[in-house]
Amino acid sequence: MTRADEIARSRRRSAPAESDAEGGSGFPESPRRFLSRAGFGPLRFLFGGGEAAESRPPQTASAKLPNVLARALSGVELPAMPHVTEDGSLKDSLPSDGRAGRALRSLRRRSASGEPAWLLPFVLGAVLLLSVLPLARLAGAGLSGLVVGEAARLIFEPATFAALRNTLVTATGGMVVSLLLGSLFAFAVALTDVRGKLILSFAFMLPMMIPPQVTALAWVEMSGPASPLLKTLGLAPPLGSPQPLYSLSGIALLLGVQHAPLVFLALKAGLAASPRDGIEAARLAGAGPFRVFRDIVLPLATPGLIAGGAIAFVSGIGNFGIPGILGIPAGIETLPTLIFSRLASFGAATFGEIALISTLIAVISAGGLLVQQRALSGRDYRLIGHSGARAAFSLGRWRIAVETLLSAVLALVLVAPLLALIASSLVPAYGVPLNFKTMSLSAYGEILFRQSITLTALKNSLFLASTAALGLLAVTVPAAYLMTRRKGALANLIAILIEIPYALPGIVLAVAFILTFVAPLPFIGVSLYGTIWIILAAYFSSFLAVSLKPVMSAFMQMDPSLEEAARLAGAGFSRRMRDVLLPLIAPAAGASVILVFLIAANELTVSALLWSAGTQTLGVAIFNLDDSGSSDLASALSVLVVLLVIALMAALEFFAKYLPEGVLPWRN
Amino acid sequence: MKTLLSAVAAALVAGLLSTAAYAESLVLYTSQPNEDAQATVDAFKAANPGVEVEWVREGTTKIMAKLMAEIEAGNPVADVLLIADTVTMQRLKEGGHLLSYKSPEAAGYDAALYDADGAYYSTKMITTGIVYNTSAEMKPEGWQDLVKPEAKGLVTMPSPLTSGAALIHAETLAAIPGLGWDFYKALAENGATAAGGNGGVLKAVATGEKAYGMLVDFMAIREKAKGAPVEFVFPAEGVSAVTEPVGILQTAKNVDAAKKFVDFLLSEEGQKVAVKMGYIPARNGVALPEGYPARETIKVLPVDAAAAVKNSEADLKTFSGIFETN
Repeated sequence: MTRADEIARSRRRSAPAESDAEGGSGFPESPRRFLSRAGFGPLRFLFGGGEAAESRPPQTASAKLPNVLARALSGVELPAMPHVTEDGSLKDSLPSDGRAGRALRSLRRRSASGEPAWLLPFVLGAVLLLSVLPLARLAGAGLSGLVVGEAARLIFEPATFAALRNTLVTATGGMVVSLLLGSLFAFAVALTDVRGKLILSFAFMLPMMIPPQVTALAWVEMSGPASPLLKTLGLAPPLGSPQPLYSLSGIALLLGVQHAPLVFLALKAGLAASPRDGIEAARLAGAGPFRVFRDIVLPLATPGLIAGGAIAFVSGIGNFGIPGILGIPAGIETLPTLIFSRLASFGAATFGEIALISTLIAVISAGGLLVQQRALSGRDYRLIGHSGARAAFSLGRWRIAVETLLSAVLALVLVAPLLALIASSLVPAYGVPLNFKTMSLSAYGEILFRQSITLTALKNSLFLASTAALGLLAVTVPAAYLMTRRKGALANLIAILIEIPYALPGIVLAVAFILTFVAPLPFIGVSLYGTIWIILAAYFSSFLAVSLKPVMSAFMQMDPSLEEAARLAGAGFSRRMRDVLLPLIAPAAGASVILVFLIAANELTVSALLWSAGTQTLGVAIFNLDDSGSSDLASALSVLVVLLVIALMAALEFFAKYLPEGVLPWRN
Repeated sequence: MKTLLSAVAAALVAGLLSTAAYAESLVLYTSQPNEDAQATVDAFKAANPGVEVEWVREGTTKIMAKLMAEIEAGNPVADVLLIADTVTMQRLKEGGHLLSYKSPEAAGYDAALYDADGAYYSTKMITTGIVYNTSAEMKPEGWQDLVKPEAKGLVTMPSPLTSGAALIHAETLAAIPGLGWDFYKALAENGATAAGGNGGVLKAVATGEKAYGMLVDFMAIREKAKGAPVEFVFPAEGVSAVTEPVGILQTAKNVDAAKKFVDFLLSEEGQKVAVKMGYIPARNGVALPEGYPARETIKVLPVDAAAAVKNSEADLKTFSGIFETN
């Protein structure tokens, strides 16, 4: 136990009181604490270092009031509107001390505060349909697959064990690489005085936004005996040299690069809140920078490191794009590619098998998520006197060296592969060196003007992404409202149910949706399998959490007294929504739409299992072009997709000043 | 809220309309590479204005799995199949999945090239030979050269689990005295790999990751013409051949358009489109494309189709067992 630790602890204990003295925020409890209670696992930092924002007292309208007035107002309960309820009869028939009775009383109290009766059933219904139903169906199929012999026999095949081993090895290796890269960038950006932090963060976030199969393709084009880049530079390895990336370590390396931003985000939020005055005190007391780092920074960063590592591990377990492109040529199967190839050699027991394999993935992921949950619970960032803008460590002479190192890493993991991708989209055939004589734009011509799949895929991806992004708001706005206004077990349950489909690997979700919708729908008698609607339904489920996050932050940072005032003035729910709440959360809703759009437009894992004639997505089109041996076309389409991603991220950056704190992952 | 809902509704309607549009068009499942599939479809559309075509490409084995999964779900999407080999078509026919159609164009073909009941018609001849990188030390002339020590760890081939041509190729070589499954075992011992489809083999050899590959003829010959550092050999022992048959599904929603598509592929005009892409045409009296030896010099090895239909599952297992792929 060090001195610094003690300081931190005592601060932690006194934190709430302190913050109140600093001008109460008007919250019944801190939004951060609510979030951690509500089980917002990966969400809490996946899209936005929410904590970084919340570590400061929320900037609400009341914070602008003079302190005295604010203190006077806090703790004053406004009287509820007199309200006639129609469930009096129910109340009498229920045991007053039972859980149901309490729930009902709280329901009545809510309705008294002007929440419409349809809100809760609507949100619950949506969540049940999108999260509980498919996952229950999967669990059922997995269990019955175990009981009914055929699939169970296959699960114990050596191939399954080999895939399990490969999955664990690559995900663990990827986690190590992610931790190294992610913490390097997080420590540098959050604690030192390097220049160009925004551009560094922005560039470092890119690998997460670029679809994994594009990353894999770019790296393959960058290395190996035929790399146009290496050939042009005269550095290509000799004939017969294996492509080094077609290996377990190649897959692990790329998983690491792909998921490093997750570690970066998990850490940055915590580091941004490290106690500057504590560090300063330690420095004054004569502690060297290394000692300060070891005794103050590292203990605070540990939960973030564990959580980030766990998330990187889980993401690695479920990744399909990278092992799909790197593993299949080398005969290396991971669990997600095993599901894919089992589905691609369809037999009588296929559905049972893939249910079993994806249940296995789900179990491993759940383990990882639990670790992450444990690491994050009990984290309290409100131990800060001032998390000022001044860097904790000024690097002095070393600054140039650190900046060079960071730029070199970015050049290696981002710039070089993208250059290779562009180069391979410009050569006319495999194995031809790129120079001004051989350069041709024919791949782009073929992709843009001849291949109908491009247009189909673009149309589908845009339709799916925009419908999911806009449609989800209809669920997430009411859900976020409900969860901020209503505390307790039910809100927590909803939060967890929304979280699960996003936290689980996409491949598991895709299998769950196949099982749910392969049988004809009741009443209509049509099967959704093979239509675009099954992909859309899976997207709705998968991105619910992404859509919720920014909207939730906006509701959190809003002063409830605004709505209260409107209610006292007699405005009904829809009127309050229209005139008070929606205008205030509009920017966050916009960000939510763009974020979902960005992720959905590049999605591969879900659609790889669900596509059919005419419902290919961009991700599927790239994968399929590469598979048919047209990697020049695959590269050309990938280049266009990367440009789309950068454009969308730039658009978000452009709107940054209108957005609530912590919505954009690359901003502090 | 209202504007949001109407935006969503509009998006949904747009989606419905576009799905409705697919319902009007002919759906083709094919194993041709994307560029060829697109060119075939474009030529067909030019000859039959007003017919829309939606197509999907995957390796034969995979496209069949997709189709079977759809049939299982009671929602087969495809109208027409254009896949690698007649063996798969024969199996579909025996399962009652194909429609019988007597095409008037069949007159220009050997009777051996189409099904007597009109369930499927061969459209071209695709042989599998050896492709090698021009910077390779040894210039292979026959299949046996691939098990020489000079080729150790430098050979790759498509997997029958993906490619229909690869399955027929394995079944053909396995039945040849002096080759057989022992030849494949020797290949595996020599470090040969088998994964993915023909596209991957072309990529590996052209890019120099591997020096030698088993590959379909047109890919190698076409890529060489584009400037890639590869050569193609018709091995001395002979080559296996598939004939890329076309067939109409029993469940087809657009039967008329499907029949037109079959007729077009078999017609003189359709065959010339195939030649332009670098395929050996199946129709009598149509010349071979550039870069091929004369038709009579290509020695095609026989394959026992009936045995192949019966033994496909077992052969796949044998192959997987040798190469330990799954």
